Amino acid sequence: MNIARPSFLKALLAALALLAVGLPAQAAPPKARVSVGATLPLTGSEARIGGFVKEGYELAFEEVNKAGGLQVGNQKLPVALTLLDDATNQATAVSLADKLINSDKVDFLLGTYSSHLIEAQSTVAEQYKVPYLQGGGGATKIFKRGFKYLFGTISPVELLGTTLMTWIDQQQKAGKLPKPAKIALLWENTAHGKDFRKGVSDFVAQNKGAYIISVDESFALDGKDFSALLGKVKAAKVDLFLADAHLPDYITMHRQYVASGLCHKVVSYGARGSEKGAIDALGVENVKYILSGVWWSSQLAAKPGPSRDFVTAFKARYGGRDPEWFQALAYLSAKTLFAAIQQAGTVDREAVRQKLATMKVKSLLPGGPLEFPAALGQQAQNPFVVQQNTPDGKSPIIFPQDVATGTGVAANPKCPN
Amino acid sequence: MERFIDLALSAVLLAGLYATMAYGLGIIYGVLRVVNLAHGGVIMMGAYMGWVLHRKLGVDPYLSIPIVVAASYLLGVAMYRVLVRHLPRGAAGGPASLLLLFGFWLVLRNGAYLLFTGDDQSITTAWSTSSVVVLGSQLSVSRLAVLAIGSVIPVGLHLFLHRTHLGRAIRAVAQNPDSCTLVGVDVERIYGITFGIGTALAGVAGLLSATLFAFNPGSGSSELLKSFVVVVLGGMGSVPGTGLAALILAVVEVFAILVLPSYLTSAVGFVMLVLVLVIRPGGLFGHRVLG
Repeated sequence: MNIARPSFLKALLAALALLAVGLPAQAAPPKARVSVGATLPLTGSEARIGGFVKEGYELAFEEVNKAGGLQVGNQKLPVALTLLDDATNQATAVSLADKLINSDKVDFLLGTYSSHLIEAQSTVAEQYKVPYLQGGGGATKIFKRGFKYLFGTISPVELLGTTLMTWIDQQQKAGKLPKPAKIALLWENTAHGKDFRKGVSDFVAQNKGAYIISVDESFALDGKDFSALLGKVKAAKVDLFLADAHLPDYITMHRQYVASGLCHKVVSYGARGSEKGAIDALGVENVKYILSGVWWSSQLAAKPGPSRDFVTAFKARYGGRDPEWFQALAYLSAKTLFAAIQQAGTVDREAVRQKLATMKVKSLLPGGPLEFPAALGQQAQNPFVVQQNTPDGKSPIIFPQDVATGTGVAANPKCPN
Repeated sequence: MERFIDLALSAVLLAGLYATMAYGLGIIYGVLRVVNLAHGGVIMMGAYMGWVLHRKLGVDPYLSIPIVVAASYLLGVAMYRVLVRHLPRGAAGGPASLLLLFGFWLVLRNGAYLLFTGDDQSITTAWSTSSVVVLGSQLSVSRLAVLAIGSVIPVGLHLFLHRTHLGRAIRAVAQNPDSCTLVGVDVERIYGITFGIGTALAGVAGLLSATLFAFNPGSGSSELLKSFVVVVLGGMGSVPGTGLAALILAVVEVFAILVLPSYLTSAVGFVMLVLVLVIRPGGLFGHRVLG
């Protein structure tokens, strides 16, 4: 017995060792699908936009699954989207991202909508080293934290200011605007507004002698009275009125602007101006010649290319309705993630992150290919499209020239000489 | 000089809006000693009532004032009977009422999200961007209308409270509810009516705000805060004080732009609130209950 026991133990140990060697191969069964998680503000104050982003994501997933799934290495895998409602709440967005990663075991994350939600939620993705692609939060401060797993398909708001000023500069050089031109720069006191201000201010600093910022004021969100601020603008006798405001403040401010009898050679409220809701609230007559800049417009589908393909697919799925930039950037984010997985040939998070960091893919954005420059926090740097409201209630793209569907007008013909 | 006149006129117009928003909060506090935290929610509901009547039925927002007043009054009476009256006696102005009415506000807000989604809405009329020239300054017709209504309300309230039997009963209850019970005044009924009147005034404020601003179910917070500042400045429960406090707040906020960045001007009111609470807790115009 005493002799037999060591032999038995040796045999048992040997058997266990053999099993242990064999275990890794058996513990990784072939992957049945690629799992992607996301939260969206489907209820609460951002519910409307959350619904738009959902449409973009679902279209992208449907397309890839209809085509048989993603080519990951030598196998084709379907992609599944687990979508949860963060109720436009930062804490919920964070806890649900944690749940998606640790309970639902998703492979990757797509972003929610709105800068403040993304800023909070992306910290969870970074903590667990999960690639996180988003097209709903453009504030540059989100991308200045040195995160490695965060990627933005949405260009910084700074570029909105720069793009508007580039068009204005062309008009000035064509002799349509005075030189130097005096600017009233009004911006909401948020990350969005600060970025816009920086874009305009940097452009002015680079073009000394061409522009003077005479009024540089921020205002609080959800303002009830802009008369004192507009009085300051009036007293400064500026040529260009450049503001950055969310929709409610745009409506309130522009109503007071019109009622005060103000008129400037160029008027812009940043990304606002061409929305149907605003035109209804202010009247076509009062929004004529207002400039606005957006990340993407369905008018980009006028020419063959990724935008036309997207718009055609979107209209087919959603009853002929035109998509807005929200759906487009959501769709682009999902498609870019799919491209990275296919190019990496694996669902390994680190491999996909590295692929995203170095890839350059064809996109529906103005300016062409999409890439995530590391020096700029892995945020896309594609230009905005500038639109101008016309007297017939339309808002054609007037800049960049290569995608323009109309010709811009400066100076504002409504203003008396 | 031209700038000064512009700012002064802007301040007067803004005062009309602030006063309109604050009367409802003031009268409820003056009589019931309840800080109606649902005030912001009722303002939001008033805006939606006006919007529905205008957008769906084509009723002019100013012509819809009686409808909004009636509906808001009924809502206020129901709020009192179903919620506020069940609070422990003596605790009506305490934390229980604050929590209850804040909860009711959340119900209103989420109900509005359910009914109207989170989209921004506004009421647009032919005169939304119209203006008239006064002393060389162009003034918004909509804001002048709000000022006019904001000026009529305290006069109407004053006449109602001093010239009618019901008004005198409300003033009496505000001063001493126990004595009123002894002489046969139905205090519970008076409380219900007063809560209804305060809510109706909030509803009108919401309707008028909707002719000036875009709104959504989340609206009402800033209106409640401004109303609170005005009511405290004016001396809680003082109707004339509320009007004067609205004017002072508006003048300070508007003229502050001469020395402060624009985004800080609205904070001036809150600084005033703190100072008044510390130095003169009864408000700038004393503690005169309902004038």
